[in-house]
Amino acid sequence: MYNDINKEKPMIMFIDLNSAFATAEQQAHPTLRGKPMGVTNRISKECCVIAASYEAKALGIKVGMRLSDARAICKDFIMLETDAPKYHQVYQKLVRIMKDYSPKTWMKSIDEGVIDFHGMEPTLNGRSLVDIGYEIKQRVRDEIGDWMKINIGISMNVFLAKQAAGWHKPDGLDVIDHKNLKKFYAERTLLDLTGIAERNEARLNSYGIMNPLQFLAADEYMLKKRVFNSITGTYWYRRLRGHEIDDFDTKLGMIGRQWVLRDPTNKDDLLRSYLSFLCETTGMKVRYKNVEARGVCVWARFRNGESWYAKRMHKSSFYTNQEIYRRALELFNQRPSGADVQTMGIYCYGVEPSKASQMSMFEDISKVGDLTKAVDEINDFYGAFTVYSANTIEGKKVIKQKIPFGGTEYFELLLKRA
Amino acid sequence: MNPMEEINEVVDIVPIFRGHAGDQFKCVPWKMVYRGREIIFTQLGMRHPTEKGKRMIHAFNMSDGVNDYRIELDAERLIWTLVYVMGGEYV
Repeated sequence: MYNDINKEKPMIMFIDLNSAFATAEQQAHPTLRGKPMGVTNRISKECCVIAASYEAKALGIKVGMRLSDARAICKDFIMLETDAPKYHQVYQKLVRIMKDYSPKTWMKSIDEGVIDFHGMEPTLNGRSLVDIGYEIKQRVRDEIGDWMKINIGISMNVFLAKQAAGWHKPDGLDVIDHKNLKKFYAERTLLDLTGIAERNEARLNSYGIMNPLQFLAADEYMLKKRVFNSITGTYWYRRLRGHEIDDFDTKLGMIGRQWVLRDPTNKDDLLRSYLSFLCETTGMKVRYKNVEARGVCVWARFRNGESWYAKRMHKSSFYTNQEIYRRALELFNQRPSGADVQTMGIYCYGVEPSKASQMSMFEDISKVGDLTKAVDEINDFYGAFTVYSANTIEGKKVIKQKIPFGGTEYFELLLKRA
Repeated sequence: MNPMEEINEVVDIVPIFRGHAGDQFKCVPWKMVYRGREIIFTQLGMRHPTEKGKRMIHAFNMSDGVNDYRIELDAERLIWTLVYVMGGEYV
């Protein structure tokens, strides 16, 4: 059944906000409209563009480019700091619009969402998904803002719907079905396909697959046994033909946080404070997800280009900031001494459902749990980091919460700290 | 270089309360008096809620056609604050 191109009617709609953060800022600030601008987490001389407006992109300014490089291309390039509540408002309104059309909607990230219209035919009243797509575009302009533009892609699976959404940017609406699938592939390169970056491209090239049409023509056995040497080859074989294989929930494997130091240092007291801050935010995420962890990994990259990590799995699980910090510090103290730390991070693994609701036989364990709960409640009521560890003071001064680009699972938590 | 000029001053605001706005914004700042100068807003860029602890803050991004202004209404204390001005001449 997976050997042929999927001939079912396209019922998956992929919605992609154009340059989401930059467009949201242009919506909020009319004087920025039509001008090259971008956003970053914290403005400094060497900060990076994390979202660029279409006007900036047209000049060659790309996401990830440093501010100094962007200004070299365009001296009038404007950089703003991110504003999470603003983007959350856009996100919420977009979700609300999407849910008006189907209960089967989900967000792939802050600026990308999927509507599954399977089983919704009776409520469409004979309207095509293209009609509905144009209606959603108009509603986004009316309900979120007149500057907001979205790309819409419609196809048989999420992968192809996403490709369709990126076919004619900005403000496009395209359908990919079995009739024009090959035409679409003929216009694209391997790197245009979501999930194919340089390494996968080189892997495909080494087997004579130089373009998407050749990728489509490749047989499943070769993709599975030779090119990818795993089940990934089969997934690609099906995905390219429009069969859905990406509609599963991923398991929570690790929870963590990292920080790039503006001024690399080897000062122990400063680094410990940064680590303490990272442990506090990691602890918040752990409890927000209602889980506990058994393993901790601490890692660092140094100014000299070398890197280091240490990890340890414990017999008992933990979830409080203090427990995470104590375990992380034991590992962190083992790092090579003297080297200036440029980037550092921590993550907890061995994640399992929380047992915090179970009564403990030991009074000291119950006290730690009660204290953590009380601190969380105070911070929830008066704002995050109202009460926090003294170790964290220096870290809190410099570390800023990042806007999550991937999933949206910590967005609500982030907003409490915004 | 940050194009925003931070102000963070309490200001006088004349808002419009629209009774029949449907899903649109029901309360929008119309006029602001800032350091004796009267500014009339011509465009609402975006409104979004945010929180300071448990206090609800309504953030309005307004424009008078020349500059952009961020104004925040503290819904608990009913105070309007001009947070920053983004000068049109800069951009």
